[in-house]
Amino acid sequence: MSSNAKIKGNAHKFDDNVNTDVHCSNKYTPGLEVDDVAKIALSKLNDSFHDSFEMGDVLVAGENFGINSSREFAVHVLKKMGISAIVAKSYGRQFFRNAINNGLPLIECDTDGIESADDIEINLETGKVSVAAKSFEKETPPLPKEVQAILSAGGLIPFLKEHPDWKLN
Amino acid sequence: MGHTIAEKILGSHTEAGKPANAGEVVIARVDSTMIHDARAAGAFGAVERLGIEKLPFAKNTALVIDHFSPPPNAEAANTHVAMRAFAEKHGAQLFDVGSGICHQLMPENGYVTCGAMVCGTDTHSTTYGAFNAFATGVEGTDISVIMATGQSWFRVPETIKVMLNGPLQPGVWAKDVTLNMLGRFGAEGLNYKAIEYKGTGVSSMEIDDRMTLSNHAAELGAKAAILEADDKTLAWLKAHGAATPNPVTADADATYFKSIEIDTALLTPQVARQHMIDDVVPVPDVTNQKINVALVGTCTNGRFDDVRQVAEIVRGKKIAKGVRLVVTPASRDIYLRAEKEGLIRDIVEAGGSVDSAGCGTCVGITNKLVSGDGEVVITSANRNFQGRLGNYESDIWVSSSATVAASALTGKVTDPREVDGGQWRAA
Repeated sequence: MSSNAKIKGNAHKFDDNVNTDVHCSNKYTPGLEVDDVAKIALSKLNDSFHDSFEMGDVLVAGENFGINSSREFAVHVLKKMGISAIVAKSYGRQFFRNAINNGLPLIECDTDGIESADDIEINLETGKVSVAAKSFEKETPPLPKEVQAILSAGGLIPFLKEHPDWKLN
Repeated sequence: MGHTIAEKILGSHTEAGKPANAGEVVIARVDSTMIHDARAAGAFGAVERLGIEKLPFAKNTALVIDHFSPPPNAEAANTHVAMRAFAEKHGAQLFDVGSGICHQLMPENGYVTCGAMVCGTDTHSTTYGAFNAFATGVEGTDISVIMATGQSWFRVPETIKVMLNGPLQPGVWAKDVTLNMLGRFGAEGLNYKAIEYKGTGVSSMEIDDRMTLSNHAAELGAKAAILEADDKTLAWLKAHGAATPNPVTADADATYFKSIEIDTALLTPQVARQHMIDDVVPVPDVTNQKINVALVGTCTNGRFDDVRQVAEIVRGKKIAKGVRLVVTPASRDIYLRAEKEGLIRDIVEAGGSVDSAGCGTCVGITNKLVSGDGEVVITSANRNFQGRLGNYESDIWVSSSATVAASALTGKVTDPREVDGGQWRAA
């Protein structure tokens, strides 16, 4: 596993059911590009989010992060913002798939107890999520190794370029 | 240990060819794919990033112009130009303006069969599960990789078995079943799971209604919604030129994540109130609610039996003063059948209008119909997020086509069982 299996960053906490079509896409604001949406994404859910956000920070959320989003655009926005990983209790199905296909690490974990500004550490290889300052530690089943390989290549397209002979298993 | 239909179909498309297990990630062959015009630019962008000139599997891809049919602006029109060129270059079939909605056209044109793996760039690609296929929505990256390699990665979903006990009453439809489930389990309540629908509630349904069941499972968050094949399935597929069906059933000792039973024989018409598709109440509880706009159509309920429901209810009558009724058939084929049987005339004479086949009034990106501030829309579509039709100050309610048509007559939310023609049953 490559060195990007370990991720550290400042947590930004969101509630359940973050709809990335509404809060992280141009679906209802046609004409806005990824760069434009990246400046305003998620701000309706937390108006001070962009003041405290720094590249490499981690999004933390409850159930169904990315609900209703079948749009890859949302993941392009989050990558553009420089989000290093997402930790949530669960994900919208298509969002989960889009994140992996575009090399945005995400992990399913009980996030009760994690708060905004916590310094969070994620090990994708072992599935461990921790906040050292508050002795928060959760072991989750790690992503399947096939998925980790796609993530570590930076997404499905770079993965395919590295493995042009990708075969059925 | 036995296997579910999802485990068997996914497994049969791997190199090993053996049933897969829920939770595993497999690389599986995909038999056919679909790209519609709202995702085509994204899919072509992914193809460009992939940098592969020849896409050997693109010939199994249907390119469908439905969301912007006809295109309301130059951006959409230019996407359509690119789609026509792509189809020509790669030997894929293009369905142009007025052909209909992807989820109707895929089965109508032989892209779906029992036991197949089908992916489309749309959440409601689950529709094809009605034909005993494993069908799910993906995005541009997946589609580009599938057109290049014929395969993609899939996490094998856990399956929820849903037993529908008893044929629906006249005036009650598959839409009411799903709305009822949305009320119970919540939007995305079955997130990431495959659903297997079984029981006499399903076997008594005609194909049109079964497609609604599989389609609308997307709002439950389902990755796939698969029905068993029966004689009706096989006859329909044969009539539409499908590849040889390979019907798949679950093993008696299959492992299910959960089993649910619903007394469909007792179900009444249901309606989802504004903004939340899971804020569902029985229609008889809200018959005082005024409505201004009545819409029938979309990939969920724009099929022939939906158009027929409307015609049976409004024939020889007039819709309520001030109400706008718009019906959009899901395909040209449905449009022509409805025309031949006089259904279009019934609707238009009653004061309604009939749009050309396509996604029509489902989402406010084509500006085909925007309701006014404070107005209430009742629609047979699948989603009612605030502002979906283009106006945040207007409410959207969701019901069966029969309930929409009955409501158009009275100007209030109306139980179709209470009006002449509302007892019509498909056969």
